[in-house]
Amino acid sequence: MVSFTQDPQSDHELVRRVARGDRAAVRLLFIRHHARVYRFVVRQIGSETMADDIANEVFLELWRQAPRFEARSEVSTWLLGIARFKALSYMRKRKEEWLDEGEAAEIADTTDTPEVTAMKEDKGAALRRCVDALPEEHRTVVDLAYYQGKSVTEIGEILAIPVATVKTRMFYARKKLGEALKAAGYDRGWP
Amino acid sequence: MTDDPKLSRRDELEALLPFYLNGTLSGADLAAVEEWLASDPAALVALAEAEAEFAGTMAANENIRPPADALRRFSEALDREPARGVSAKSWFAEAWGRMAGLPAGFAWAAAAAAIALLVVQSAVTLTGRNDDFSVAGAKSEEEFFALIVFKPDTRIADISALLDANHVTIASGPTASGVYRLNIPAATAADYDRIVGLLASAPVTESVAPGRKPADGG
Repeated sequence: MVSFTQDPQSDHELVRRVARGDRAAVRLLFIRHHARVYRFVVRQIGSETMADDIANEVFLELWRQAPRFEARSEVSTWLLGIARFKALSYMRKRKEEWLDEGEAAEIADTTDTPEVTAMKEDKGAALRRCVDALPEEHRTVVDLAYYQGKSVTEIGEILAIPVATVKTRMFYARKKLGEALKAAGYDRGWP
Repeated sequence: MTDDPKLSRRDELEALLPFYLNGTLSGADLAAVEEWLASDPAALVALAEAEAEFAGTMAANENIRPPADALRRFSEALDREPARGVSAKSWFAEAWGRMAGLPAGFAWAAAAAAIALLVVQSAVTLTGRNDDFSVAGAKSEEEFFALIVFKPDTRIADISALLDANHVTIASGPTASGVYRLNIPAATAADYDRIVGLLASAPVTESVAPGRKPADGG
């Protein structure tokens, strides 16, 4: 068995194969990363149908952009960065459509609804619901850290924000979580 | 540390706990969190809360089920994308890069094979007949042949092993589109079909197109 200095199945090596036109390699990357990319998009735009289309677009973009990938970051970080950009584009377009149709009033503030619902649930379920109810910019950093396993620096790359802003958002995200849980009857012990 | 001057040192440490739990914290931030955890009982309470958030966030995400047929639909969309070719130069550079990790004797043998392939290709290119398989390097037109495209990541050693195992030789190629013409040592049509079938089913093979084959019965 011949061994190479580069693991032939590593994400970076697969992207190199994609850059050379290997469609099997992009399918392998799809199998590895699709679920996380799809969930990341669903969490941002709230529509599973649209998230399906956007996640597919992310991997088609991988196919198109692979020759320009510089391998300075993890492939998963790169994919989430593409997904973030596409989700934001979708949300901007959707908001413009709402405003065009004079339906801005439908952009309702529902931030207190999950707390009321959480009253009937155990703490774990309440926590899930409170995470879901966080404002998008806070929920995204929580998802990226806890679910996607990303570092402060990687989250900064994905969201195109400074590292210090990532930490500030994380602080306020966790603070809001604590407040929501407290409102639901679970004292989180936040200072 | 953060970009909000209202946050205290304790607040900043709270903000780092998720990254402590996901294992990505390092350097001064990691040292600060560990120091806090070791010296302040309240830090352990905060850590337990962060662990609960971790579990809640994982569950919230994993409740989302990706569509079961996502790969099939993606593959269909991918197949509609234009193909991306690989130049002989970049292919050779890649092969050379891979050979750098091989034992010296093996590497030189592989290098010789790679250069031989390039010479064949150069002959094809110089005659200006890239899509014509009766080119320099090809032998008699009477020989039975098939056309083959290998997967882009295929190693020279794997190609050699496949060809040797089936007593097949390269007559010419690759063309600009990566097609090789192979001499198929078959005496009968059945023999030809068997060899081509073996080539087609090899993991390194992208596709095979049958060419001239023996007439039935011999």
